[in-house]
Amino acid sequence: MVREAVARRLIEPEVAEELRTPALGGGEEPPTGVTSTQPAVSNARLALLMFLAAEVMFFAGLIGAFIVFRLASPAWPPPFQPRLPVGVTAINTVILLLSGLTMRLALMAARRGKPTRLVQWLSITALLGTVFLGIQGYEWLRLIGFGLTLSSGVYGATFYTLIGCHAVHVFGAAVWLIAVLLQARRGRFSERSYAGVQLCAMYWTFVVGLWPVLYGLVYLS
Amino acid sequence: MSEAATAHDAHAHHVELGFWRTYVFSTDHKMIGRQFLFLGLFMLIIGGLLAMMMRWQLAWPETEIPLMSWVPEPYMYGGILPPQTYNAFFTMHATIMIFFVVMPIMVGCFGNFLIPLMIGTRDMAFPKLNLLSFWVGAVSGVVMLSSFFVPGGPAASGWTAYAPLSAQAAFTGVEWGQHLWIISLIILGISSLMGSINYITTIVNMRAPGMTYFRMPLTIWSLFITAILLLLALPVLTTALAMLLFDRMFGTSFFLSQGGGEPLLWQHLFWFFGHPEVYVLVLPAMGVTSDILSTFSRKPIFGYHAMAFSMISIAFLSFTVWGHHMFISGMNPLLGTAFMMSTMVIAIPSAIKTFNWLGTLWGGSIRFTSPMLFALGFVSNFLIGGLSGIFMASTPVDIFIHDTYYIVAHFHYVVAGIIFALFAAVYYWFPKMFGRMMNEPLGKIHFVLTYIFFNCAFFPMHFLGVGGHMRRIYNPMQYEFLQPLQGINVFITVSAFLLGLSQIPFLVNFIGSLFAKKRAEKNPWQANTLEWTAASPPPHGNFDAVPVVYRGAYEYSSPEVKEDWLPQDRQLATTSTAARLH
Amino acid sequence: MMSWLPENVSTFGGEIDYLFYVIYYITGAAFILVTVLMILFLILYRQREGRRATYTHGSTALEITWTVIPAIVFVGLSFASVSSWGKIKSHPPPPDVQLQVTAKQFNWEILYPGPDGKFGTEDDLQAENDIYVPVNKVVHVILKSKDVIHSFFLPHLRVKQDSVPGRDILVWFQAVKPGKYELPCAELCGFGHSGMRGWLHVHTPEEYAKWVEESWPRK
Ligand SMILES: [Cu+2]
Ligand SMILES: [Cu+2]
Repeated sequence: MVREAVARRLIEPEVAEELRTPALGGGEEPPTGVTSTQPAVSNARLALLMFLAAEVMFFAGLIGAFIVFRLASPAWPPPFQPRLPVGVTAINTVILLLSGLTMRLALMAARRGKPTRLVQWLSITALLGTVFLGIQGYEWLRLIGFGLTLSSGVYGATFYTLIGCHAVHVFGAAVWLIAVLLQARRGRFSERSYAGVQLCAMYWTFVVGLWPVLYGLVYLS
Repeated sequence: MSEAATAHDAHAHHVELGFWRTYVFSTDHKMIGRQFLFLGLFMLIIGGLLAMMMRWQLAWPETEIPLMSWVPEPYMYGGILPPQTYNAFFTMHATIMIFFVVMPIMVGCFGNFLIPLMIGTRDMAFPKLNLLSFWVGAVSGVVMLSSFFVPGGPAASGWTAYAPLSAQAAFTGVEWGQHLWIISLIILGISSLMGSINYITTIVNMRAPGMTYFRMPLTIWSLFITAILLLLALPVLTTALAMLLFDRMFGTSFFLSQGGGEPLLWQHLFWFFGHPEVYVLVLPAMGVTSDILSTFSRKPIFGYHAMAFSMISIAFLSFTVWGHHMFISGMNPLLGTAFMMSTMVIAIPSAIKTFNWLGTLWGGSIRFTSPMLFALGFVSNFLIGGLSGIFMASTPVDIFIHDTYYIVAHFHYVVAGIIFALFAAVYYWFPKMFGRMMNEPLGKIHFVLTYIFFNCAFFPMHFLGVGGHMRRIYNPMQYEFLQPLQGINVFITVSAFLLGLSQIPFLVNFIGSLFAKKRAEKNPWQANTLEWTAASPPPHGNFDAVPVVYRGAYEYSSPEVKEDWLPQDRQLATTSTAARLH
Repeated sequence: MMSWLPENVSTFGGEIDYLFYVIYYITGAAFILVTVLMILFLILYRQREGRRATYTHGSTALEITWTVIPAIVFVGLSFASVSSWGKIKSHPPPPDVQLQVTAKQFNWEILYPGPDGKFGTEDDLQAENDIYVPVNKVVHVILKSKDVIHSFFLPHLRVKQDSVPGRDILVWFQAVKPGKYELPCAELCGFGHSGMRGWLHVHTPEEYAKWVEESWPRK
C-alpha cells in the first residue's frame, strides 16, 4: 500500500543508524516521492545551525561580561597594563577574513564539481587559518612577556578568555578543515555529494565572522 | 497476524545486538529514555534523603539524626549535622533535584522516549549522539556524586552558587567539592546540548507524513520549546561556570571585587540561564499534563492553539525576566521595575494554560485513573505555585519575602510539584515503556498519600515565610522572632517524612509491575496519539510501517466515529473529514 | 496566613503590607475560583454510563476573556507596586542619622560617625552587631561588605538589602516604635550564616540622648 511504500522509502531504521537522512547534503537533487515530508534543511545542517546558535549564546555571555567590565572601568586599558598589538592583529584580521573568502571559493568549487580546485582552495584556507593561529600565539607569548596574565585584573582575564575561546574555536575548525581536505584529496566529494565541505564551510564562516566583532570590541574599543 | 509477523522479520537482526548494545550502549531512543528514567529515579532517592536529613535538623536542631551516627567527622558528629554539612546538603539537594532528577526524567527520559513515537518516526535524527548524550550525562552525575567523597565535602554555596562565596575556596572552606560541582555542570551542559540539538532536528525534520506542527501533541510542543530553551540558555550558564572555575583555579577575578570584578555579574549570568531553566523543568510537565487531561476527559484539549502559543510566548519572555531574582541585590531600582513588568507579563500565559485545563475538564467524561489523578495534582500544585509567584513579582512585597521560606514554598510548589506530572507520565506511559500495566489501586493509594503530605509539607512554608523565616538557615532556634514558628517546622518535617514514606507504594508498584506476567495491550488508555499504534513496548524501529497522520491529537468523542477516540493515523472513509479538522 | 506577619514598626512597612494583603486577596479569590470550578467539574463530569463528552475545541471568546482579565490585574498590580518601590528604593528622605554597616563573615560591623557627622574622623565609634537609632528619625545606612554577599534584614521594619563587596548601597528606614528588633543575615554567606545576627535598638529620644552621652562623653 501507499503507506508502506512511503515508509520504506523515507525512513529505514538503518538509515537513521548511520546518521544519514534522505536529504543530507542540502543542494542535492530532490529525491522523488512525497515532497511534503522532505525537509528544507537537512538534518546535519540543521543540527550544525543549532550548535552555532548555542555557540553564539556562549560568546554572548563572554561578550556581555566584557562589556560590563569595559563600561565599569574608568580607564581601559587600566594603568600599568600593556597595550594590545592593534596593528599586527589588524593584519591578522585581514588574513582570517581572506580565509573566509577562500573557503567560499572552495565551496563553489565543490558545488561545480572541480576536485582539484576544491583541494587548492581548501589548502589555502587551512594555510591562512594556521598563519592566523601562529600570529595569535606569537602575540600572546609577547603579551605574557610584558606581564599581561589571567590574574592581572579583569583586563587580562577577559582578554585571554574571550580571545582564547575564539582561538580554540579556530583551532577546532582548522582540524575539521584539514580532515575535510584529506577527504577531498581522496576524491570523496562530487557535485552531487559535498555535504562535508558545506558543513565545514558553515562552521568556518562562523569562526571567521565572529572575529571582527571580537577584534572591534577587545582591540579597538 | 501476518503484519506482525513480517514486522518481526524485518527487525529480527536488531534482536541479536547482544547485552551491551541492547541495554548499556544502546542507540535505541526507547532504551536511552529508560536509562534516563533509572538515572533520575536513583538520584531522586539521594536528593530526597538529603532533604529528610535537613528537615530533621530544622525541626529538632542539633540532635542526633536516627541511623546516621556512622557518618565520620567532620561531616557529622555522632549523627548530629554541623552547619557546614547542612549547607552542603541543601546545595546538593537542589542541584540533584533540578539537574539530575527533573531534567533527566522529564526532558531526558520522556523526551527521548516520546518524541520519535509521538511524531511517528523510527528513531532520533542522530541515535549515536543520543547515546553519547546519555553517557556524558551519566559521567556528569558521577562527577557530582563523587564530590561527596573529597576532602572538604561537596559544594556548600547553594545551587545558585552566588559569587564571591563560590569564587574563593576560603569563603566556604570547600575546595574540590565546588570545583567538581562546576565541572559536573559544564559536562551536563554538553550532554544537554547534544540532547536538545537532537530533539529539535528530529521534530523539525522527521515528523511522519501529515504530522504538521499544529497536529503535534502538546507534549511534543513542550519538549520542542524546552529543547530550544536549553539550547539557548545553557551555554550562558557554561560561560558563567567557566569564569567561576577560572576565578577559583587560575587567579582571575571576574566575580571578585578586589581584582576589579563584579559579583553581581554572576547573578545576571546565572539567572539569565536560571529563569529559562525553570521553564525547561515545567514546560514538559505542562505538555504531559495537557495530553493526560485530554485523554481521560475523553475530550479535545481546550484551546489547543492557545496552549501552543502560550508556551511559545513563555519561551520568548523567559529570557527577559531574570532580574526578578535580583530585586534586592543592589541592582538599579529602575531595572527592578522593568523586570517586575516583564514578570507580570510572563504570568499571563501561565494563567491561560490553567484556564484551558479547566476548560478541558468542563463537559468531559472524566476517568479517575492514576495518571489522571497525578495530572490533576500537578494542576492544583501549579495553581498554588503560580499564584504565590505573583507576590514576589511585586517588587515591594519581594523586599520582605525574598530569601524567606515563602520563596522556598513557591518554588517547591512549582518545581517539586513537577513530580506529580512526572508520576502521571510514568503511570501513563509505563505500559508503552515496559509492556506491562502498573497496579491501579496501589497507584491511587500513592496519589492520595503523596497529595496530602506534599501539601502538608510545603503549604505551611508559606506561613514560615510570612513570619520572616529566612531560607538556608541551619538552626531557626537561634533567632528570637522565629521561635514561635518552630511548631510549624516540626509539622513540616513530620509531613516530609510521611511524604517520603508515601513513595514506597510507588517503588513496590514500579518494580513489581516490571516483572508482572500480564502484558499490556497496544492502546490501554484508548488514546489518539501515535505511540499507541506501536506495540507495547515498541520494537527497535517502533512502527510496522511509518504512520500517516490525518488529524490532530485530540479527537476524543468526535461525532465522526462511534467510539470516543479517533487515532491520529486512522483514515476515515470520507476524505473530506481530514481536511475539515485542522 | 497573614497573621504570621511580624509586627510592622517602620513608616513604609505599612505600604508593603498593604500590597501584600491586596495580592493575598486577589490570589486567594483566584485560587478559590479555580479550585471550586475544578472540583465541581470533576464531580459533574465524572464518567457515567451513556453520557458522551462534549466535543469542543475551545472558545475564542473565553480565551480572550481569560487572557485580558489576568493581564489587567497584573498591569494594575505593577502600577500599584511602582510608587512604593520608588519611594523605598529611589527617593530616600534626607537623613537625620547616618551610619555605616559593614557585613563580614559572620558579623555586622557598625560605624557611627560621631558628633561631627563625618565618617573617617577621630570621633567615629565602631561597634559590633548592635545598632542604636532614635525613634521617628530617618536613618541612612551605608551598607558595605568585606568578603561575600550578605543581606541586611530587619523583618519588623520590612527592610532587606544585600550587601555586595565593592559597593556602597544606601538603605534607609524610619522606625515608629521603640524596642529591640532582630537583624538577621538573609543571604547565605558561609557556614556561619545561620546565627549571623545583630540587634536594632530603637530608642526613645531620652534613651537615645543618654546613649549618645555615654558613647561620646563630653571632655
Ligand atoms: Cu525566575
Ligand atoms: Cu549570611
